[in-house]
Amino acid sequence: MALQILIQGFVLSGLYALIAVGFTMIFSVGRVLNLAYGVYIMLGGYIYYAALQGAGLPVFASFILAILAGVTFGLLTYLLLVRRLEDNPIAVEISTLILAVVMQALIVVIFGAAPKTMWPVIRGVLRFEGISVTMNILLATGVSWVVLGGLMAFVRYTHLGRAIRAVSMDRKGAVISGIEPSFISMVTWALSGAFGAIAGVFFATFTQLDSHMWVFPLIISVAVVIVGGIGSIVGSLIAAHIIGFVETITTTMIAAELRGVSTMLLIILVLLIRPKGLFGRAEL
Amino acid sequence: MAIDRETLRYLGWWLAFGVLMCLLPFVVGTGTLRILIFAHFLAMFAMSWDFLSGRTGYISFGHPFLIGIAGYTTAILSFRFDVPIYYSIPAAIVATMVGGTLFFLPALRIRGTYFALVTLAFMEILYQLTKVVAPKITGGTRGMSGLESIVTGAVNNYYLSFGIMFVTGVVLWLLIRTRLGIALSAIRMNEEAVRSTGHNTTKLKLFAFTVSAAVSGIGGAFYVHYIGSIAPRGMFEINFLFTILVAALLGGAETIIGPIMGAYFLTVLLEYLRPVMPGMERYLLYGAIALVLYVVRPEGIYSIIADAGRKVQEWRR
Repeated sequence: MALQILIQGFVLSGLYALIAVGFTMIFSVGRVLNLAYGVYIMLGGYIYYAALQGAGLPVFASFILAILAGVTFGLLTYLLLVRRLEDNPIAVEISTLILAVVMQALIVVIFGAAPKTMWPVIRGVLRFEGISVTMNILLATGVSWVVLGGLMAFVRYTHLGRAIRAVSMDRKGAVISGIEPSFISMVTWALSGAFGAIAGVFFATFTQLDSHMWVFPLIISVAVVIVGGIGSIVGSLIAAHIIGFVETITTTMIAAELRGVSTMLLIILVLLIRPKGLFGRAEL
Repeated sequence: MAIDRETLRYLGWWLAFGVLMCLLPFVVGTGTLRILIFAHFLAMFAMSWDFLSGRTGYISFGHPFLIGIAGYTTAILSFRFDVPIYYSIPAAIVATMVGGTLFFLPALRIRGTYFALVTLAFMEILYQLTKVVAPKITGGTRGMSGLESIVTGAVNNYYLSFGIMFVTGVVLWLLIRTRLGIALSAIRMNEEAVRSTGHNTTKLKLFAFTVSAAVSGIGGAFYVHYIGSIAPRGMFEINFLFTILVAALLGGAETIIGPIMGAYFLTVLLEYLRPVMPGMERYLLYGAIALVLYVVRPEGIYSIIADAGRKVQEWRR
């Protein structure tokens, strides 16, 4: 039981960290919540499905197409919508929520309302001490670690990455140092779209494709931001693990139906006790 | 509140609107009436959202939570325990007001984005719980159907729904014109400033939350008895929240009249698009309209009409 919780907890947390990273990036840099983020995840899943299972392209090419779609849509969200409303975070939230519902309708119009099952990215099941884990979800966890490690190295050691961090810490100071914040925003939105799409492929193989699938990842991302606080990649990684483990413990020890409830209660508790998050900077 | 000439003029408009809508059943068929009944309930929810979020700036993403409390309370009481609806509906409204106070607790500490998210979390929790906890009582995922109706027939239901919507609308509209209403919108602009003038912002906010919850409660309770069924999927869905939000914003937040316009506009638009676009295309279209309108004109339809009215007056002069 304990081992099962440990393995499932780590695997789930890895997936959640991957889902949330693109969302927290936008929030750290632009201080806006992109409620259309779940759409990048949905789009990633559907484009991958259409390329692989529809058009018969190889796995790698389908992945690239999904990422390109995520990047394009991320940039479009920023350029057409968010840039006009950037000084009003609530307007950004409302408009991105409307955008998400519009995209949900678009997906139904194009692909139909019936859920679709995706092939796993890699096949096979790993059995260990009577516990079985699919290779697919293990790969997702691996990819999540690689992506997060890469992102951490990127923001720490490259010029562009440092510029992103500078804008996230102090926008005015960054402008004075010669950084163009709107360019940095575009880079972040593009990256966010790419991360969303990657996470979407794995999330969709983990559950299934349907037009409502954007809601759950969005809630997970929001929870990670709230629990972790803003401006810390390590913080969101830890937050993803807290959420993943709390959920695994609740589902295996109390009741499987309470999956979402534990996460929600965690959000409310953290917000009431420590509104700036467990690891974030003091800011609201 | 001083009854000035402007207020009287507006009350005249309200009266004209009321008379017009009361005469409508003599002109149009029951099909149209049934569409308008939905518009009236949507208007109730949009006004409730507007009184809280449009006024005080505390954006609620959890109004289905309040409506759900009302709906489930009256449904469970009347359907499972055979409580007459004269008692179950008031009980539902009280329960919703208690729920509104629950909503209020986080607002003491957090605001803006975070408040919106907590309300969303409340909605999700209730969604999960209604499915799992005591499915014998709540009906689980399938919910309950065959609830008692208050009146029968399209015409009666039309008058009932219009009546509660109209009375609520006038009361809320008068309320926002009092000093209290002005204080509430001052909270949106600068909460610290309101507090520094010696007003108790906590009390003011609590008032807005309770009124908003009461309106949601009335709307929700009558709504489930009209449609005769309740289920978690339809009640706590983001699409439902989206419809309420869009109705309020499209019409024009912070005006009470705006959300009513928005509700009529949305329902009628959706209904008349049905033959042309049977499926989700309608949501695609109306979402797109809402999005463009929101980005171009965040103040909504009401401000467009008000501007046009002003231009006509200037032109006449």
